[in-house]
Amino acid sequence: MVTRRALLAAMAGVVAAGPARGATGPRIAAIDWAMAESAMALGHPPLAVAELKGLRRVAASLPAETTIDLGLRGAPNLEALSLSAPDLILSSSYYSFIQPQLERIAPVLSQALYVPGEDPLPKLVALLPVLAQALGDPGAAAPVLAEAEASFDGLAGRLAGQERPFLLLEVGDARHVRIFGGDSLFGGTLHRLGRANAWTDGTQFAFHAPVPMERLADFPEAALVIAGEVPVQARRSLERGALWNRLAPVVRGDVLQLPEINAFGGLPSALRFARELVLAAEGRG
Amino acid sequence: MKPALAAAALAVGLWAFAALSLLSLADWPGLPWRAESLGIDQILLTHGLMPRGAVALLAGACLGLAGALMQAVLRNPLADPSTLGTAAGAQLALVAATIFAPAALANGALPVALAGALAVTLPVLAIGARRGFAPVTVTIAGMLAGMLCAAVATALTLAQGHYLLSLVIWNGGALSQQDWSGARNLALALLPALALAALLARPLMVLSLGAEAARGLGLSLAPLRAGAILLAVALSALVSAEVGLVGFVGLAAPAIARAMGARSLKARLLLSPLAGALVLSLADGVLLTLKALGGPSLSTGAMTGLIGGPLLLWLLPRMAAQVPPGAEAGDGRSYRTAHPRRVLALLLSGVVALSLLTLFGGRGPEGWGVIPAALQGTFLPLRATTITAALAAGALLAGSGAVLQRLTANPMAAPEVLGVTGGAALGYAATVFLIPAPGPLALALGSGLGGALALTALTALALRADLAPARLLLAGLAIGAFASSVLAAIMASSDPRAWVVLGWLAGSTAQVTPTGAAMLAAFALIFLVALIAAARWLEILPLGAPVSRALGLPLTPLRLTLILSAGLATGAASLLVGPVSFIGLMAPQLARGLGLVRAASFVTGSWLIGALLMCIAAFGARTATFPYDLPLGLVATLVGAPWLFLTLLRSTAA
Repeated sequence: MVTRRALLAAMAGVVAAGPARGATGPRIAAIDWAMAESAMALGHPPLAVAELKGLRRVAASLPAETTIDLGLRGAPNLEALSLSAPDLILSSSYYSFIQPQLERIAPVLSQALYVPGEDPLPKLVALLPVLAQALGDPGAAAPVLAEAEASFDGLAGRLAGQERPFLLLEVGDARHVRIFGGDSLFGGTLHRLGRANAWTDGTQFAFHAPVPMERLADFPEAALVIAGEVPVQARRSLERGALWNRLAPVVRGDVLQLPEINAFGGLPSALRFARELVLAAEGRG
Repeated sequence: MKPALAAAALAVGLWAFAALSLLSLADWPGLPWRAESLGIDQILLTHGLMPRGAVALLAGACLGLAGALMQAVLRNPLADPSTLGTAAGAQLALVAATIFAPAALANGALPVALAGALAVTLPVLAIGARRGFAPVTVTIAGMLAGMLCAAVATALTLAQGHYLLSLVIWNGGALSQQDWSGARNLALALLPALALAALLARPLMVLSLGAEAARGLGLSLAPLRAGAILLAVALSALVSAEVGLVGFVGLAAPAIARAMGARSLKARLLLSPLAGALVLSLADGVLLTLKALGGPSLSTGAMTGLIGGPLLLWLLPRMAAQVPPGAEAGDGRSYRTAHPRRVLALLLSGVVALSLLTLFGGRGPEGWGVIPAALQGTFLPLRATTITAALAAGALLAGSGAVLQRLTANPMAAPEVLGVTGGAALGYAATVFLIPAPGPLALALGSGLGGALALTALTALALRADLAPARLLLAGLAIGAFASSVLAAIMASSDPRAWVVLGWLAGSTAQVTPTGAAMLAAFALIFLVALIAAARWLEILPLGAPVSRALGLPLTPLRLTLILSAGLATGAASLLVGPVSFIGLMAPQLARGLGLVRAASFVTGSWLIGALLMCIAAFGARTATFPYDLPLGLVATLVGAPWLFLTLLRSTAA
């Protein structure tokens, strides 16, 4: 067994002492990004991650250069996965339809992190001890969690001056936005920071997409938080659009622009969102 | 005329209901509407609902005119921006630009959309020209190109994670507005286009007498045809750029115009924009009213597919077959091999050799090569599963294509063209939404039944006309469009279950279990045995119903059995491949090209060629963009489409 695994590792171009491997922990591969980020936060970065290119664009902390790309999250490359010879595969309920195939390669740790109608943040917090246990490093979770809670508390204090509820959105084109509800990572983080989410209706999939721009008129009291870049084809119309420029928050200048953040990430992405939000709010105030 | 007036009144009424539930009439602002002095609700009316109503009318009119022009030039009642691939080309260009060169969209999407629309329409017409613009051939070439574009666009969208919001919107065809710029752009294009169309009406009418007559009257054909087509393509691209993909309006509008009594070409060119405007306004009005009543907000483009399909099916029996006699003459004559057994043996050894080659060779993180012996224990079961499943799926699709072509005596019949894969897609989606956590068997049954159901509905419609090719195709197109609009609506809804459907659209072989692959293979073998057993019937059926009856065939149960088995086979295969592959069309075509004419060798040859094509496709899907698996159906289409184009071209020369 050991020789085969060593051979597989060599074949996959992973040096045994590579940075992608924890000192004592098992070799892990991650299909789900939230799981990958959580493992990284625990100091056990996965040696293989699905859709690595995309993750590098949005991740809270960059995966190591030697990390292996496993292909699409919805259709991971099983050959690449078996070549990376993981001891444990991290997945989530999103990918339950391929779980039987993953289980043919290695044991799978799958968690339901994003469930419609439920705040994901407590689940992401609860994930860390479970994950640390599975990684054979049960002590790793407590310090990470303590630090995160402290950061959240500090950031919440810095937001205390802000009275208005936030409306969290992403601009699709000149006429459509996507709105993040309480069951999204951003919504959950907002809740943790003690701030209100202006969007109280249910969502279908952590966000409600795509919503016509005119729905924004229903939230005159809110401060708009734009997550991610505004697409180039929408910028000009936002500058000149009659509706957008008459929206009460836009007239007041209550618009915060955040960089692109992993909307289905783990605790590190929640922290990053909180930090960026506070920075943007302070920069404006 | 009366139904048209009623429809217009209904469209206005629906819009007015939405407008009045936003703002009571007393609060409507007077002109001029300056945004600075209006309340937010008034802006929503004057810069939202009002331009939206205008855009629905104008975009519908543009599409109606585009469809009427294309139909007039090509003398083809099936031509429209969707069936010629124009809309799909524009869509693909927009999606690609959004992902790879967003800066190209900064100054408006029209140039990008126009380039994409032309890049697809022109080759389709070039192929059509080789066959004298025979309607069925042009439509098949256009649909092939269109479905290919749509598949590439879907693959691009999926590869980005479907989170890229603008892609979902391009896919959806949403009409919501926040100023008058869209309406202005459409109006500025539509007015000169209408004037041009009026000018073109007379020469086009001469053209409808036939190319010879037109030449005799001193008309130069090429510039006339090119000009009218260019106009139609530009109109379609404009609509794609302004509101995204709105299917079927250009096909439905001229049909409605004819049903409303537009006999002359000029009347059709003028009534079609009106009909198109009505269709799109009605669709949008229904959605607006739904939303005003607190219902879900859906995209209008997906909606036109929903109403367009059934509308066309309803119109079908009321329409005379519009295909000009003799237009399909290019389809006759075929070469017959003297040694069918030798050809089949060659095909079989090809399948075996290729399977072994791709089983041991391939691409890994280290590059290309053969799997080292030490790794074979881990690898071979994984790869063998994929390859077995791909072979079986290809064989099933090709087999059912062969059955359908024999059953309908129509060389262009295929599960993809006849809406069977569309039905399978609906069956799959229904299973995902109705059964909590469905297993592979439930999904296979669901999509199989969906495919069989679509085919049964189709035959029920077309049997009356003894499966006249144009009619059958048109009905199949309608079912296909209906299915794809339902899928688009699911995609835009972002329901968590849409994720499963999307994963299936990606059509990767990764999801097959060894049991699933073995079952699929067993099914494929049983199917082959059944086909060979039914060879005598398949020989007789194409000769027509009277001959078949005279020879004592139990026609109705026989047709139903064949239909059901073709539907189930397609459904089971599309579980793996996704809704688009064209293997079912290509493989029988290639078998005929190899001279396999007798029913037994024809079905066996198709079956083997299907397996061969899918094996190549699976290899390509696995390796081309390693480690990112490509959708199997997409690669299969890419593999087979050039061969099919060649076949189409070569049979002209014969």
